[in-house]
Amino acid sequence: MMTPRRLAMKALRYTLIGTLVVLAGFPVYWMAATALNVNSQLYGTGQVAWPQLQHLPDLVTELGNVPIGRWLFNTLLIASGGTILSLTLGALAGYALSRFKFHGRGLVGFLLFMTQVVPEALILVPLYAMFITFGLLNSLWGLILANVGFSLPVACFVLKGAMDAVPYEIEESAIIDNCPRFSVLTMIILPLIMPSIAAAAVVSFFAGWNEFLFASTFLMDRALWPASVGLASFVGQYETPMSAVLGAALVFSLPAIVFFLLIQRKIVAGLTAGAVKG
Amino acid sequence: MPALTFNKVSKTFGDHSVINAFNADIHDGEFLVLLGPSGCGKSTLLRMIAGLSDITSGDLLFDGSVANDWEPKKRGVAFVFQTYALYPHMTVRENIAFPLVMDAFRKWYHLPIVNIVARHRLMKRADIAERTLSIARQLELEPLLDRRPASLSGGQRQRVALARALVRNPDLYLLDEPLSNLDAKLRTQMRSEISALHHKVGKTFVYVTHDQVEAMTMATRIIVMNKGIVQQVDTPDEIYDHPANTFVARFVGSPPMNLIPASVNNDALQLSGKLAVDHAAPFPSRRHMTFGVRPEKLSLHPAGEGRLPAQVAVVERLGAETVIGCRLMTGEEHNDQRLLEHDLVFVRVSGNPKVKIGELCSLDYQANDVLWFDIDNGDRIFLDQE
Repeated sequence: MMTPRRLAMKALRYTLIGTLVVLAGFPVYWMAATALNVNSQLYGTGQVAWPQLQHLPDLVTELGNVPIGRWLFNTLLIASGGTILSLTLGALAGYALSRFKFHGRGLVGFLLFMTQVVPEALILVPLYAMFITFGLLNSLWGLILANVGFSLPVACFVLKGAMDAVPYEIEESAIIDNCPRFSVLTMIILPLIMPSIAAAAVVSFFAGWNEFLFASTFLMDRALWPASVGLASFVGQYETPMSAVLGAALVFSLPAIVFFLLIQRKIVAGLTAGAVKG
Repeated sequence: MPALTFNKVSKTFGDHSVINAFNADIHDGEFLVLLGPSGCGKSTLLRMIAGLSDITSGDLLFDGSVANDWEPKKRGVAFVFQTYALYPHMTVRENIAFPLVMDAFRKWYHLPIVNIVARHRLMKRADIAERTLSIARQLELEPLLDRRPASLSGGQRQRVALARALVRNPDLYLLDEPLSNLDAKLRTQMRSEISALHHKVGKTFVYVTHDQVEAMTMATRIIVMNKGIVQQVDTPDEIYDHPANTFVARFVGSPPMNLIPASVNNDALQLSGKLAVDHAAPFPSRRHMTFGVRPEKLSLHPAGEGRLPAQVAVVERLGAETVIGCRLMTGEEHNDQRLLEHDLVFVRVSGNPKVKIGELCSLDYQANDVLWFDIDNGDRIFLDQE
């Protein structure tokens, strides 16, 4: 039997959680509600606070006029390509930094850290010049490389930290069991740090997913644009089709939400890893 | 079969020397225990045998061949770690089978993703599955085969680690304090199990411990180490009865050997400063030395009946026997404010004698039970070599 005090505490807790859920979810709801409103209402005072489903066909027609599928595919390619590259190189670099003693190890760590200090806008022009030289301008692969330059150090630090926590004995035991170094990493270490890999994957994926500055600078071809640049192109000098922008934004957000939901449990485990003695 | 030879093997970390010109032979099929206090270099030595640590200088020979630069896999050893080092993401079955699976891996199986498929397929291969099951049965692990290490007790984890070492049937087993994480009862049980295992497989075991009880009960030979230097290499009995120096005398035995400073004044022996003793046997012809006698070689008597007057300071009743710590009555004992036990003389008597702390008593000994040590370097003094 629950005492009145515990009942009150429980009610308070649920009220607080409910409030936070509403606060976090409201922008998404408002995005959906706005997308299914008429533009004329949006710029006046007559916006309806709930989605008007009868306007769905109009929204679909409007979005059909732009290559939103292509933009979404480009974004997916940039985000997942950058994630795979960051995790692969980050795991190798993290393992080297975690396990091997070599001259310049501290310097490598410092330089990786420095990449996070330098603002993207600062290296935009030098990078543009380099991309011209290497023929990477107007190429999705070039954009993936530019993004990896920023997400790789984060992945490297996250994975190195996780590898530091894996006892040496487990690795040495595998070496005694005739397991070569590379397989020690892929078969023993990486499965043990899956939560941290998931956390690094989220950071890398969303860095690529939300990327705008490099994409709007390096990609001229409309067909190569990611959704972020595509969305910005809706904004006109005289008119912005608000419902179409938010409709496209909704489509743009859904894969990211699905990705996050899929690995959220792993991320929480990764963020709290090492917090308590195992 | 790997008879091992250490030829002036040294190991340094920067300026810090861990092992200093270590010389020893390990014979085929023996159970050799490396015994010493924490930080004496015994685990480093074991890691050098396994190829997990480099040798700074000297040679390590496997069957007469210099093996300093051999990869661990070429040495054909199995290693049981203090922390067990089981793979937490694998089941007990996968843990035990892992060395066999690795032996069966072709080079290209090590490619990422391919290795996952290859490992699962090899786990099902008849010879690997049968060998894994057979080892698991030997160590009574069959009901646990599909569990993960996290759900096992300490003793079960230890057995899995042993099974993983046994499965490849290596010639040399290296065990690094494998029982130190277990409770006292389980430690006794596992001690017997490891000894039985050694008899059964008949291979060479090199076992590192700081626990002298483990060393005495399991070893065919013991190497006692201190600060990276070998103190004595011998059988457990010899090490106990004839320690090479005061370090070994103190380290082996619980309670340790009683070591009392002795001096000779006008051909008379004096213990602990001013306590004149009628020794009635030859003693070293030097002015100062250390008088050593094991606690069980001392006898406890009422005051005035033994040659060494004493006062009971500590009584440890262990059931079948009692260990009594006494302070020798040198005439200066009232000025002695020290509380620590290392200046007490311990007597081990059977049963449960009625003695009280503070009671006056006396101790006695047989002259041929006494060992003499150099007062400066602690080395044993042999009367017949003087």
